[in-house]
Order: sequence, then C-alpha cells, then structure tokens
Amino acid sequence: MVMIHKVLVANRGEIAIRIFHTLREMGIRSVAVYTEVDGRSLHVRTADESSRVENYLDTREILRAAAETGADAIHPGYGFLSENAAFAEACEQAKLTFIGPRPQTIRRMGDKLESKRVMKDAGVPVVPTWDAEPPANAYPVLVKAVGGGGGKGMRLVEHPRDLNEAKAAASREAAKAFNDDRVFVEKYISNPRHIEFQVFGDTLGSVIHVFERECSIQRRHQKIIEETPSPAVSPDLRAKMGEAAVAAARAVGYVGAGTVEFILSPDGQFYFLEMNTRLQVEHPVTEMTTGLDLVREQVLVANGQPLSIKQTDVRQSGHSLECRIYAEVPEENFRPDTGSIAVYRPPTGPGIRLDSGVEQDSEVGFHYDPMLAKLIVWAPTRDASIERMQRALSEFVLLGVRNNIEFLHRVVSHADFKAGKIDTHFLEHHAELRKPTTTEIPVEALLAASLTSSDSRGHRGTNGADQTFDDVWQSGAWRNA
Amino acid sequence: MIGRELHWRIQDHDVVVRIEEANGKGVLRVNDRTVPFTVREEHSSGGWIEIDGRNHQFFVSRTANNVAVWIDGHTYVLERIEKGRLLEAASAEHGSGEIRALMPGKVLRVDVKVGDTVAEHQTVVIMESMKMETSLTTTRAGKVAAVHCKPGQTVDMGEILAVIQS
Repeated sequence: MVMIHKVLVANRGEIAIRIFHTLREMGIRSVAVYTEVDGRSLHVRTADESSRVENYLDTREILRAAAETGADAIHPGYGFLSENAAFAEACEQAKLTFIGPRPQTIRRMGDKLESKRVMKDAGVPVVPTWDAEPPANAYPVLVKAVGGGGGKGMRLVEHPRDLNEAKAAASREAAKAFNDDRVFVEKYISNPRHIEFQVFGDTLGSVIHVFERECSIQRRHQKIIEETPSPAVSPDLRAKMGEAAVAAARAVGYVGAGTVEFILSPDGQFYFLEMNTRLQVEHPVTEMTTGLDLVREQVLVANGQPLSIKQTDVRQSGHSLECRIYAEVPEENFRPDTGSIAVYRPPTGPGIRLDSGVEQDSEVGFHYDPMLAKLIVWAPTRDASIERMQRALSEFVLLGVRNNIEFLHRVVSHADFKAGKIDTHFLEHHAELRKPTTTEIPVEALLAASLTSSDSRGHRGTNGADQTFDDVWQSGAWRNA
Repeated sequence: MIGRELHWRIQDHDVVVRIEEANGKGVLRVNDRTVPFTVREEHSSGGWIEIDGRNHQFFVSRTANNVAVWIDGHTYVLERIEKGRLLEAASAEHGSGEIRALMPGKVLRVDVKVGDTVAEHQTVVIMESMKMETSLTTTRAGKVAAVHCKPGQTVDMGEILAVIQS
C-alpha cells in the first residue's frame, strides 16, 4: 500500500489551516498554494511549504504546484475545486491521490436531477419533483437549477401562470452561474428545517453515518450557525434519517466524507435534498461531539485503510454549536467589508475551538469569501452550549473590519433560537435582529474613546508616568500630578 | 489635573464629553451625568478602566477621524468632529517652582514645611476633589520657600499652595 506522505491543500483560509493541523499530527508534510493577493496570508505560513498559483480554480496550476513540491495527494477542502469531477479525474491521471470521493460519484451527485433519481431508486424519501408542469394542486413550487447551489437560479412560484417566466429567469441565471441552463420544478416545503447527516465510506465497503447537523440559520441561502444534535430530531427520527443517509451513500458506493442534506418539514416528514461530496464548513460540530477527526478519516480512506470506527461504536456526547465569523455588516444587508485586522483577540477557555484563517494585522480583501473564522463551542447540553457561545462571542475582540459577531450574539440570545424554534426563514422572520438592540452609547465606550483619541496625552502605564506627550500637554499640568 | 473637552458624532447625534483627570483618576461629564473613573491601564490599542468598582477592558482602532471602540462585547464607531481642546490649563510648577491646586478642593495633607529639602517627584500636598485624592509633586529637587495652605483648607483651582526654590 502506497501511503500518502505529502499533501497539497488546494484551498485557502481557515479550512486549509485546519487540514494542515491534522496532517502535522499524522506526520504528513503539507503544501499550501496561494495567489498573488494571498502571499502573506496565514494559511501560507502555516504549511510546511508553499507554492504560488495564478488561481485556486486553475487545475493545471495546482497540478504543476503538486509536481514541483513532490506532493503525492491533494486535499481540495470545500468550495473551489472540491466538487469538480474533472479536477478529481485530472489528479488521478497525474498519479496524485485525490482526497475525496471518486470522480463519477462527484459527477452523479452534482447533477440534482440524477442524484434525486438515484435516491428515489434507493428508497430514500425525495421532494416531489417535475421535469415539466407540476399539477395545479402542487403549488407553491420552487424552480431550481440542475447544476446549482447557493440559491442561484432559484425561484419561488406561487401560481401556475408565473411558472414559465420564472423558469426562463432561473435558466438565464443558472447558465451564467453554472454554465448549465437546465432547471427543474420541486414542491416547495414551507418553514423547513435544514438537517444534514455526515456520512463516511471506505474502500473496503464500510459506510457509516456520524449523526446530524442542523443548519437552519441561514442568510442568503448560506448557513451561518450550525449545531448538533438538532433540537428537532428525536432518537426515533435520528435512527430513520441516519438509515436513509447510509442508504443514500451506499446507493452511489460512496468513498470518503460526504453529507446527505435533508429538509425536515414541520409535520416531521424528511426529504433528500442533495449530497455534498466534500468536507463541510460545519464539520467541527460533528468532531466536537464524537471525538472523531474527520480529516484524519479522509486521509485513512484515501490511503485505502479502513475507517477507524464502526457504526455501532459511534457515540455522540453533549452539544456543539458553530458560528461563522464573517467580515460583513448585517445592519447593511450583510454587505461584505474589507480592511486590515487592527485588533484580534479571540475568546479562549473551556469548550471553545476556533478555526481561524486570519490573525492580528491580516488583510481582508474583496477577492475571496468574507468568512474569517469559525467559532465552535461544546457543552454537555444545548442550553449550556448557547450560554458558552454567548460568553465566547461577547469576549471576541475584532477591530479593523466590520463583522457579524454582535449579530450572531443577538441571534443565539433570541428566545426562539434558545427554544429551538428555528427554520430556514428564521433570519427573514426576525429582521429586527439585524439592528443593534440599543443605539445608545454607554459612558464606558465614550470614556475609552476619549482617553485614547489621537491628540490625547500619549500612553502610560498604571503609575501614570509620563512617556510621550503631545505638544499641548508638554507645558501642561500633567507633570505636577 | 487635565481637563479636556471632546466632541463626538455617534450615528447622527453629537455628544460632548468633558474629562478631568489626574493620576489615573478622574471624572467624565456627559449631558447631565458625572461619572468618576479610574484608568488602570492604557496602551496604544486599548486599556482597562474601572467605573463603579467594575472592570472594563477596551480596545481601540483609529482611522483619520474615527475611533472604533470595543468594550464589553460591543463595538462602537465614534467620529471626532472637532479637535479636542484644553479646558483648563491649570498651572503647574513647570519652571516657576509654584505648586498649584489642579482643581477646586480640600487640602488633606501638607507633607513639607518651609526650609525642607525636597527631591524630584516628592509629594508636597495631597488634595481631595470629587472624592478623589490627588498628590501634587515636585518636578525637580530644591528647597521649600513657602507653604500657603494647611490641612482642611478649601482651595480654588490654580491657587498657589507651595513654592519650591531650586
């Protein structure tokens, strides 16, 4: 068996760094790639070696970097080339181990119509879908892009007369975003929860699930808060959904880490939505509650070794919550912000994990996704987990770029969130959360700003000893005091 | 004693802050409120203040006219709309050898008498004002030429309390 000894991570930011951590623990060397604007980024200096590429999406460049650095495997992370079947094939042809599922699996699951057909055949519940006209009693319906994701090429249609126009618009949008103009129509489930199951398969035929993650708190169809276990999933439902997730993975002979996404309707019915053939952003909550290192399992599977654990041995303990820290302004419709991180003091303490792509003085540009870090907590219960997250967010100091930390604090502090009464429209239905609860500035903040403002008297220690004074104070009374 | 006035614009309304401070203790005046504080630590990117016996750590980040302040889990952005100006240039010894009251208040203690030799940074008088004690110290060594106050006496700001000859 040829073992992986050096891995190139075709990604950036927090996920690249998170993968380097496990590689280092496994005694495997790591290679970072970086573009011109990322030359000084944290992920580059965290790897053992680095190689510059023109673009994170450029297959030839990534393969060249792998050849030059002598890497024998590639981990794609999430996003970028992670669900690109042609890239996985190109790796195989270049005799590089692609740490992910087989190319044909990526291709089949990337096609939303094909993936649904496969799941239906495997007996997994699927949202009713139509290629053409849905029956009149099926409305409202969703028009979705076959090659899509992230809400692009998606339209809600309330009435049959609006269907054709919506299909045409979605098709145009899909062609631009995914280079594939095919769309389909799906039953619209109102007030759904997003529940996904982590699955894992190895080359020896073992397929397991590692419980669910609830990712219902989303803005612009992107998850921002995730947790496990879900407050909406009973042990009985968990068993049923877990079984369906494993059946889904088996149906495509799944190898590696994958995620089976379901929507859970308020009546307790669940439907297969899609399968993500990669490591998910929110994978840490699964790690925190099971003790597994999912990247390590990915490497084992890529080596042709068995998974380290059997289904009957997988246990979940306590509760874990993740908040995605973004350089964005919730108060201004979540617009991204850029700048230099002037102060960065993330929280520490019991049960806290930070997967960060930035540090003090990092530059946050407009070239890439504005996610800076993921703050993850673990506690024995969901209530304790929320309290810990509130504490952690309230201690997180991040100045220099505007961010969503206070917004996240307001969300996890909301009575409905605490009660587990959430669905994928939570943030639309609670738009007030985007605004601060009070606009009044406390005297502490006024004092802090006034003490340190630019024409003040320099800096000093606790004893008040003068050090550097602006001219205005040079002749003043200060020395007397 | 340092007195300063700062004009801030915070989300379309203006706030005038007056700060009087000596030896790390002082008061902040805003609107009708008077808030005593202690500065426990201060550095280029933040500090530590104490108000009403409670600790507040803070961090700041400055751009041209704006100050972003992180304190107690919240970030506030304040815009400086006028250069802070000196309210009271309460006279110091600076060369004259005069030790003056830095604020109106009561003399608690006089540590020297005429003819004493004093060292640099030696305490001459301790005053109480706004429920805070302030030590008035020398800036250089010398001899006490005159003492114009006694414990318990109420003095005005700027009043000469003692004179040091070098």
